Amino acid sequence: MNHDEHDGPRRIANRVLATLLVASLAGAVLLPFAAMAPNRLVSGESVSLLTALRPWQTLGLAALAGALALACLVRPLGERRGARLTLVAAPLALLLTLYGLGDYAQRALTDASPAARVSQGAAFWVLVFCTSLMIVDAFQRLGSSLWLRSGYGLLLVAAVAALFATGTFNALSILREYFNIEDAFVDQFVTHLTLVGLALAPTLAIGLPLGLLAHRRPATRGVLFSVLNVFQTIPSIALFALLVAPLSALGDAVPWLGALGVAGIGAAPAILALILYSLLPIVRNTQAGFAGVDPATREAARGMGMTRQQILWRVEVPLALPVILSGLRIVTVQAIGLTVVAALIGAGGLGAFIFQGLGQYAIDLVLLGAVPTIALAVIADFLMQILVAVSRPAGAR
Amino acid sequence: MIELQGLTKTYGDKTVVSDISLRVERGEFSVLIGPSGCGKSTTLRMINRLIPLTSGRILLGDEDVTRLPAEQLRRRIGYAIQSIGLFPHWTVADNIAVVPNLLKWPSARIASRVDELLDLFHLDAGEFRDKYPHQLSGGQAQRVGVARALAADPEVLLMDEPFGAVDPLTREVLQNEMRRVHEQTGTTVIFVTHDMDEALKLASRIALLDAGRLVQYDRPIELLTAPAEAFVSDFIGKADLGLKLLSRRWVHQYQQAATTSGDAPHHWETDAQGHPTCLHGGRPTADVPPRVAVTDDWTATPGMTMKEALSRMVWYRVGVLPVIDDAGRLIGEVTLEGVMGRQP
Repeated sequence: MNHDEHDGPRRIANRVLATLLVASLAGAVLLPFAAMAPNRLVSGESVSLLTALRPWQTLGLAALAGALALACLVRPLGERRGARLTLVAAPLALLLTLYGLGDYAQRALTDASPAARVSQGAAFWVLVFCTSLMIVDAFQRLGSSLWLRSGYGLLLVAAVAALFATGTFNALSILREYFNIEDAFVDQFVTHLTLVGLALAPTLAIGLPLGLLAHRRPATRGVLFSVLNVFQTIPSIALFALLVAPLSALGDAVPWLGALGVAGIGAAPAILALILYSLLPIVRNTQAGFAGVDPATREAARGMGMTRQQILWRVEVPLALPVILSGLRIVTVQAIGLTVVAALIGAGGLGAFIFQGLGQYAIDLVLLGAVPTIALAVIADFLMQILVAVSRPAGAR
Repeated sequence: MIELQGLTKTYGDKTVVSDISLRVERGEFSVLIGPSGCGKSTTLRMINRLIPLTSGRILLGDEDVTRLPAEQLRRRIGYAIQSIGLFPHWTVADNIAVVPNLLKWPSARIASRVDELLDLFHLDAGEFRDKYPHQLSGGQAQRVGVARALAADPEVLLMDEPFGAVDPLTREVLQNEMRRVHEQTGTTVIFVTHDMDEALKLASRIALLDAGRLVQYDRPIELLTAPAEAFVSDFIGKADLGLKLLSRRWVHQYQQAATTSGDAPHHWETDAQGHPTCLHGGRPTADVPPRVAVTDDWTATPGMTMKEALSRMVWYRVGVLPVIDDAGRLIGEVTLEGVMGRQP
């Protein structure tokens, strides 16, 4: 009798993958994969995965599920090779799920009324979510370099883009909503990005010097951080509302500001609120970045005869840059999300579709606003991660 | 040559450095020493004006540099500190090249200067040029720190306890290296330490400070044999004064002709090449064999300190050590009687 027999030999190498796999299988079987509705405003009739997919698609998903099950076991592959297998099987399952849904929508609508709609169901979201997490988990286990992850991500995005380009999803309700308002969508998308950009540029222009000030004059830190903290604690919707009155008064009182677009509603309060929210992370990270420079390095730089400017630009800024850019990464993602709320005060952006959709009870219109916002945030986060990695000086670990 | 005239630093009504005047001749290795808080570091940092002086003058050569812009002054003065402060985002070569770059030397001259300095510190240029500071050991990093300070041929090199943070073994190696580099370059050095043994090992002159005041500025031997006041001998420590003195004495000063004739109370046997092989006699006690084989450990070289030679005599219980040259040939001897019979 072996004394640790009650533990049993370990069979599962990757518990995360196993959990995700069980969740996807349960979701696929128990939850509706798609919904078919007679028009866009009523909720549709549930369609299960087995009904929606063609047999070869179902078989394909089953085979990929088998491969993923193999990938979580200790034998025969083990953790690392299991993770590599996951990186092949999970994206295929993801793409097959996407393709299957589009394919189903096309078939279902061929002899339905023109008003009929097919939209994605809970099982679809569970599969997309779980397979994406499987990929993220596999990369973490392998500890792959950022470059490998970038290349892989790019390929995956390209594959999804190809599905879009070949019209796979054109029959889906969310795409139908898109075709209805194609021009408006592009406009609002650009507005969204413009609002984020117009907020981040002044944030950097104000925040970087303030961060440097906070670093050089510790006495200023208390006041500065508590003021900026106050803005962070105000709920976004309240801050937007609070800015309406003073800005409309300002726009009225100073005609040239009014002509520039400073008014109670629209872009001006939105940008101002975004700036106020973004300042704290930028100022704090800038200060932390400079504080992270070894005092001995600064002392040596002074002793070598560098001027204050030379010390700032040649020594302090390069060493502080990764931390500063991490702050920028936080506020970029935050601003993309907050801009959604700015639609409430008439600033436009992708939030406009969300609130419009909520008003009409058209869930696919809500998703048309929400999904691109999420995608934008994820992509921005990823790009900023790359920027942070590139900015890390070769010599500093 | 660098001269400090009446250097004073006060913070409010507290005087940290009070009216220090001293002159360091070209090529001299001057050590500022004293207990913690005596103002030695403050004095050093006033020389390159990292700390502004309250009053006094600094002459570099014959030039009064007290009013020179601090950055310009610092580029003419090397500076090495205990925490080294290498720039972590630059390679070893870029670190060494900092001051030449600030002085806008042509890049070919900078590159050859970097290699020359790495060579001076026995760091292989091909291997170390492109390394980053985090890839260096503590001793290597400190060598690069000193190389960086020497890069633009400074008129003076200031060193603030540069070897205070490394392990004793590395410190010893770095001290020997510093002696060699100083002899090779002839740079004028002002060196701060609180370690008397380090000061005795390196200094050609020692300035002893106490509570911001210069107590004595003299050659090491004078400090040991003619202390200006009680504080000096207290600081040096009376207990091992004799050994400290011997740490400033060299074997070649005590060396006498080796006896090889069999009639003498002790004499050496040598092989055909002149290497000492055996010592007859020369042992102070009778309980040891009269004839003993020479091993590498109980020989002396002309450049060894007498402190070390004496230590070897005690350890190996012999009253005489063979002095050998680089090829290991017998060129003389030092004896216990010789150490005792001479004013240290």
